[in-house]
Amino acid sequence: MAVGGAAIGPGDRGRARAHPDPDRRRLTRTGLLGLPALAFVAIFLLYPLALLIETSFHAKSGEWSFEQYARIATTPVYGLILWKTAWVAGLVTLIDLLVGYPFAVALTRARGAWRLVLLAAVLMPFWTNLLVRTYGWIVVLYPSGLINTLLLHLGLIADPIELVQNTAGVLIGMAQIMLPYTVLPIAAQIEKMDRRLLQAARSLGASAPRTFWHVYLPLTLPGVFAGALVTLVLSLGFFVIPALLGGRRDVLIAQLIDFNLTKVLNWEFAAALGTILLVVTMGLFVAAQRWFRLDTLWTEAR
Amino acid sequence: MAGFASRLDSAAPTRRTLLKAAAATLMAAPLPLRAARSAEGEVIYATWGGSWAEAMRKAWFEPFTQQTGIKVRTIDGPDYGKIRAMVKANNTEWDIAEVNPDFQWIGPREGLVEKLDFSVIPTDQLIRGENLLTDYSLPEAFWTRVIAYNTKKFPGDNHPHNFAEFWDTAKFPGKRVMYAKANGGALEAALLADGVPADKLYPLDVERALKKLDKIKDDVLWYETNAQAVQFLQDERGVLGLVADGRAKFIQEKGAPIAIEYNQSQLTWTSYVVIRGAPNKANAMKLLAFMTSLDGQKAIGMAYTYGLVTPKAYDLLPPGRAEQLSNGPQQQGKTVLMNEKWWGENLEKTQEKMDAWRLT
Repeated sequence: MAVGGAAIGPGDRGRARAHPDPDRRRLTRTGLLGLPALAFVAIFLLYPLALLIETSFHAKSGEWSFEQYARIATTPVYGLILWKTAWVAGLVTLIDLLVGYPFAVALTRARGAWRLVLLAAVLMPFWTNLLVRTYGWIVVLYPSGLINTLLLHLGLIADPIELVQNTAGVLIGMAQIMLPYTVLPIAAQIEKMDRRLLQAARSLGASAPRTFWHVYLPLTLPGVFAGALVTLVLSLGFFVIPALLGGRRDVLIAQLIDFNLTKVLNWEFAAALGTILLVVTMGLFVAAQRWFRLDTLWTEAR
Repeated sequence: MAGFASRLDSAAPTRRTLLKAAAATLMAAPLPLRAARSAEGEVIYATWGGSWAEAMRKAWFEPFTQQTGIKVRTIDGPDYGKIRAMVKANNTEWDIAEVNPDFQWIGPREGLVEKLDFSVIPTDQLIRGENLLTDYSLPEAFWTRVIAYNTKKFPGDNHPHNFAEFWDTAKFPGKRVMYAKANGGALEAALLADGVPADKLYPLDVERALKKLDKIKDDVLWYETNAQAVQFLQDERGVLGLVADGRAKFIQEKGAPIAIEYNQSQLTWTSYVVIRGAPNKANAMKLLAFMTSLDGQKAIGMAYTYGLVTPKAYDLLPPGRAEQLSNGPQQQGKTVLMNEKWWGENLEKTQEKMDAWRLT
């Protein structure tokens, strides 16, 4: 949301220099149109977030205190859980980039029925219930499941490999669900790329790989960063998949927050964990905006 | 209706209008009658739902409504977080919630529950035992966690008979299925396996238990939901497990090769609490009295397999039925009672230690 709001800025300002007056009026009108959305965000997002942060600075007894943060800082297990969460989210993002980038290229090249099929394939996770989908993965990943049976028949493995009830299962399940968030921004960026730049590169004698590395890839980078950012941020808060596909070592921060909210009723501690997650997320957004110019994703190609 | 009323106002009463008024009164009659019935009120009951809620409806709620006119409405998911949220917001919507026994201490500590009115709820028939009854809670039903094993893998008497053997991966190879949360019995099982006598379990020596768990950590499939436990055992991915007795029986009925070892069954229970600010507090007390009465216990003993909270009610069951219930005659002398008070006070710290163990 913050990125979307900032995105109107630079692009419009660029044009505002040429025709200041009509554009300023347009900007004001755009601002007015955004008011209901802003009010909505303020009431349903900012206010609860402020409450969350406030709660995290209380002791269980009610008075102001840093004890929740002190507990997180001084108990090694919380550092481990935060690290594990970041590690899993980072790996999911990496997997989705490696799978998603070629997929996005294919998606933008496909025409007609193929395009629909590819689009359906990537959007499928959105259309299925989370639990059904997760149990579906169990069927596929089980020692007696589809993948192991196939690999055994092909003679590629001698014994079933453990694909579920461990971090591998968590990564596979999460990467599939997050794939659309990676693919769609990249595909959108490819679609609006000025293809003449590619022709220009080729006509100036650049080889196909060189054109890709120096022209195609850099032009799609805003989409890559946007997709990676959304995937990373959403992956930090996963709950059901680690619980059902994970094993002993897969304790992630969302499970910890749920435990404190619903099992031991330590809302202050849950709030502190949530605030840390929030700060990390905001930090990622700020960094992405700063170094990767995310806003260009929302403006036309220049 | 409005037009009719205004005509009554404007005109002098004639025979005809009087007749009409009488007819209107008769037609309207069912309405006040219905209102009078609902003045008996209702009770909102938060339940874990599923087949258990269906059994309760037949055994308890319908007969209770017939006897008292008080309706019972059920809500699924008595989540502690929801309870706290509604009490904090001064907007309590539930009357009774069925909860895990740790809430007998968490609830009062957080100020989320009402004291029970024992002038309405008789307790003389209720099972005696430490921590089973508090000022704020009544036991609802007993259940146990039992050793369930695959009969193809471990036929005849060649199966683990206790937790020491449960830990013996050389003699009984294969994955063990255990609950991943600290209060799911794994720590107690580890200490029993390590030779701690059942009556010396608490306060739990968590470090010792985790050290014992280390010995089988690569042989355990941890479950977060009972459905997962069922799946692991049904698919024979796990060949041995510490699971709820009801789930083990469910897998048996599905035809999977599973048998139960009752020795060292971990006995625990579920509790009733009345939520602070309950809108129908008086009715809630009446329903609690009804459910814990001998008749109520007999009825639920026929409808479901949880253990009864009034021992005498077992005698009212037809022959053979008692053995099908948790904590029934088949389990007498074989159970280890969980100290849920200790858990109510130590869950958070213990879970922290267990999470650290899981990650390393």
